Amino acid sequence: MPVSKQDKPSNRAVIVSGVRTPFVRAFGEFLELDTIGLANAAVSALLRRTELPHNALDSIVWGGVILPSLSPNVGREIALDLGLPASVEAMTCTRACASGLQAISLAAAAIERGEADVVIAGGSDSTSNAEIKLPQKLVRTLGPLLMGKAKATPRDMLGVLAQLMPLTDVLPRIPKIAERTTGELMGESCETMARRNEISREAQDEFAARSHHRAAAAIASGRLRDEVAPVETPSGKWVHDDGLVRGDTSVEKLAKLRPVFAKDGTLTAGNSSALTDGAAAVLLMNEEKARALGYTPLARIASWAYIGVDPADQLLMGPAIAMPKALERAGYGLADMDLVDMHEAFAAQVLCILKMLASRSFAQTRLGRSDGNAIGEIDPAKLNVHGGSVALGHPFGATGARMVTTIANELHQTGKLTALLGICAAGGLGAAMVLENAEA
Amino acid sequence: MNDILLQLGKNPRARQLIQTLGIPLPMPQALARAKGPMEDRPLHDYEIAIGGDGDLTEVLAGSLARAGATALLTSGAHIPASFEQQGEAYGRPPRSLMLDALPEKLQVDALVFDATGIRETAGLRALYEFFHPLVASLRKCGRVILLARPPEQARDPGHAAAQAAIEGFVRSLGKELGKRGSTANLVWIDEDPAADRLAEGPLRFLLSKRSAFVSGQALHVSTRALLDSEDGSAFTPTWVRPLEGKVALVTGAARGIGKAAAELLAAEGAHVICLDRPGDDELVAETAREIGGTPLLIDVSDPEAGSAIAKAVKDGHGGVDIVVHNAGITRDKTLARMKPEHWDQCLAINLDAVVRISKVLVDEGALLDEGRVIVLSSIAGIAGNLGQTNYSATKAGVIGWTRALASELDERGITVNAIAPGFIETRLTAAIPVVIREVGRRLASLGQGGLPRDIGDAIVFLATPGAQGVTGNVLRVCGQSFVGA
Repeated sequence: MPVSKQDKPSNRAVIVSGVRTPFVRAFGEFLELDTIGLANAAVSALLRRTELPHNALDSIVWGGVILPSLSPNVGREIALDLGLPASVEAMTCTRACASGLQAISLAAAAIERGEADVVIAGGSDSTSNAEIKLPQKLVRTLGPLLMGKAKATPRDMLGVLAQLMPLTDVLPRIPKIAERTTGELMGESCETMARRNEISREAQDEFAARSHHRAAAAIASGRLRDEVAPVETPSGKWVHDDGLVRGDTSVEKLAKLRPVFAKDGTLTAGNSSALTDGAAAVLLMNEEKARALGYTPLARIASWAYIGVDPADQLLMGPAIAMPKALERAGYGLADMDLVDMHEAFAAQVLCILKMLASRSFAQTRLGRSDGNAIGEIDPAKLNVHGGSVALGHPFGATGARMVTTIANELHQTGKLTALLGICAAGGLGAAMVLENAEA
Repeated sequence: MNDILLQLGKNPRARQLIQTLGIPLPMPQALARAKGPMEDRPLHDYEIAIGGDGDLTEVLAGSLARAGATALLTSGAHIPASFEQQGEAYGRPPRSLMLDALPEKLQVDALVFDATGIRETAGLRALYEFFHPLVASLRKCGRVILLARPPEQARDPGHAAAQAAIEGFVRSLGKELGKRGSTANLVWIDEDPAADRLAEGPLRFLLSKRSAFVSGQALHVSTRALLDSEDGSAFTPTWVRPLEGKVALVTGAARGIGKAAAELLAAEGAHVICLDRPGDDELVAETAREIGGTPLLIDVSDPEAGSAIAKAVKDGHGGVDIVVHNAGITRDKTLARMKPEHWDQCLAINLDAVVRISKVLVDEGALLDEGRVIVLSSIAGIAGNLGQTNYSATKAGVIGWTRALASELDERGITVNAIAPGFIETRLTAAIPVVIREVGRRLASLGQGGLPRDIGDAIVFLATPGAQGVTGNVLRVCGQSFVGA
């Protein structure tokens, strides 16, 4: 009788290591590196630091949001660029800001199904190298003339030119982070959420200052040294450090900034995550294989959950539903978690989620919990212990892999047992993952 | 179909010019109508002032928050806990309004008054106290809803007087609001916690854009057709694509209201059997193809029509959930000049066919449990109309039939309701002489004719699971037409 590979407990996936590039403000030091270049930097550093035999690697699963349109399978380009064996197959996935976490989920699923033993998963994005798009109108008008079969006469040309008026419709457009269905900028959606959930400017600035202070402390103490690899840019300049963290900021300084998304709003450049370039890569293995190759597993993945909500309602509330779902799947309560790490798209967005998780009405009405309890309050001492995206920056595809790396290391170094991750994403998506200490 | 005054009214300059010149032309407000199928939050970002102190606090709090609205409470400094809780769960914290100190430039999308707590006539002053200061703050195409208990179930004559007074209040308020495209309606809810829960569907419908042409009406909500009787806590209807998996039969689906209804039912997920006369085969086939339905060519006045339909729905679909009796004709002549065949044709199609076909569908088990029967009546059946003795007889007849059939089928969870359209812009009304047509349009509080879609929206509402509490009702979709009370 054939036995399903999934039944074998030995197929458990573990996180062995993770490395990321420094995270740098868009249009800054990484301008010359596109998303593939950044990804190459992260993956080659990971390979170097783990001394992984190249022929042991089965595949690469990569996540990204702004994919290069001529070579969207970034994962395969990494393998080819780094001269990895041709047998290292690869795919690239996108799930907006949760793309990096999605890549890790896919890698773990492949390992646990027995399809692979050693996988590199991660993500990268270069907002600086977002392609400036020609409007579809221009493409549809000129395309048939230039590429089509019919020969164009000067009269056709004139006709086409007439169709292209007014010119503003056909000028190239600079990409922006707007929701396709609602047309709202993400910050505008979050501004609405802050208002609806009554999140004050002071609370946001306080949260943002803490994120910066914790990130700065982690950098100063060398805690992040193992996770961040310096990168050499094509012009020969070395970038060693994260570029956005402001250890010297304070609630008072942040309070002086002006709202950016609404006149009487509460979201500022200081309490929002910035456009960022960077990449992060995680090495996952089948637990037995890891031990056979002599690696120490850092963490294993207890569960994950991806959910969707209506983007026209509260765009970034997804983690408030995904996190309880992942906990439920893993058989935990929020109180069982030693660490919680949430992607900080905006300080206000994290505070909204915290408020929802702490609300009994929310648990009962939106999650159908009949026991009358809230999901729970999260002790600030457990939450984003080394800062988050507001301070470090948010290269869309890389953030999930950055969080998994930091938390896997944290579990291993402190001996803590459990951690919950949560990410909100465009399109009204929410993502969550529960990690467990692999040694426990 | 072209209402020139409505077009003029849409042009702000023309509107202003006519007003400055003082030309006594009615300027109907273009109505805001729903687009596309039912939404999860039909009241997204609505701000709704809540007044009154009755039994429906909890139901209102939940219904409004789920539908995406923010509640503005006028109950003084104290906001009821259920509004606080629902507001927190949906990120729509309730706000408090002081009636004697309303903010300047306050604009609200709807006013909802829970009058179920008014037990004596003195309590009616609360209506004045709530609506008097707020009515000017109602946005264009706004909504007013009053919730009350049926006067015939009152405990004493004083209680009955107080509850009955509310109906007159609503009807007059509707007439005052019509110019701005706003509507006022009443929901009578049986005194029963389960009936209170069934009010959510009617509330969503009457507050949303789907009831644009319904004004001055009273809907009665009861538990008569609720199967899991108890307290109705198991009643959780779906609001989005509510007709998924349902089979609907629409007679007269080739054009006009029937076609609109077929399209709207299909958009909510129903499989629609489009029935019309064999002579209209091309139109029926086209409608059916567009909405992925099934054409069915049967003449409803044929004595065998009932069994043919029953066979078709049972063989093809295992039965039918929703039956919309829409097919109808007019054969107008004053009684003295009316030819016998005109009387006979009109009676046969508009009334005999409805009664006969439904009886066969029920007897042969083709109409499924928790089903819906919806029949098109008419204002003419309520108010009478010159030259329509035959037509009015049939349209009054279906009202009596509706009430009796509702009592017969409620134990199976089947609801039976009639819709009485007022002046609707269709092929039928386009043929009316221009002067009479103008009068017909302007006699309604909303000052305009309705569209086939308005009737379709009402039909879809009655067909949804959310309308389980509405049976034996006659819903007028007439823009509060002057005639027919």
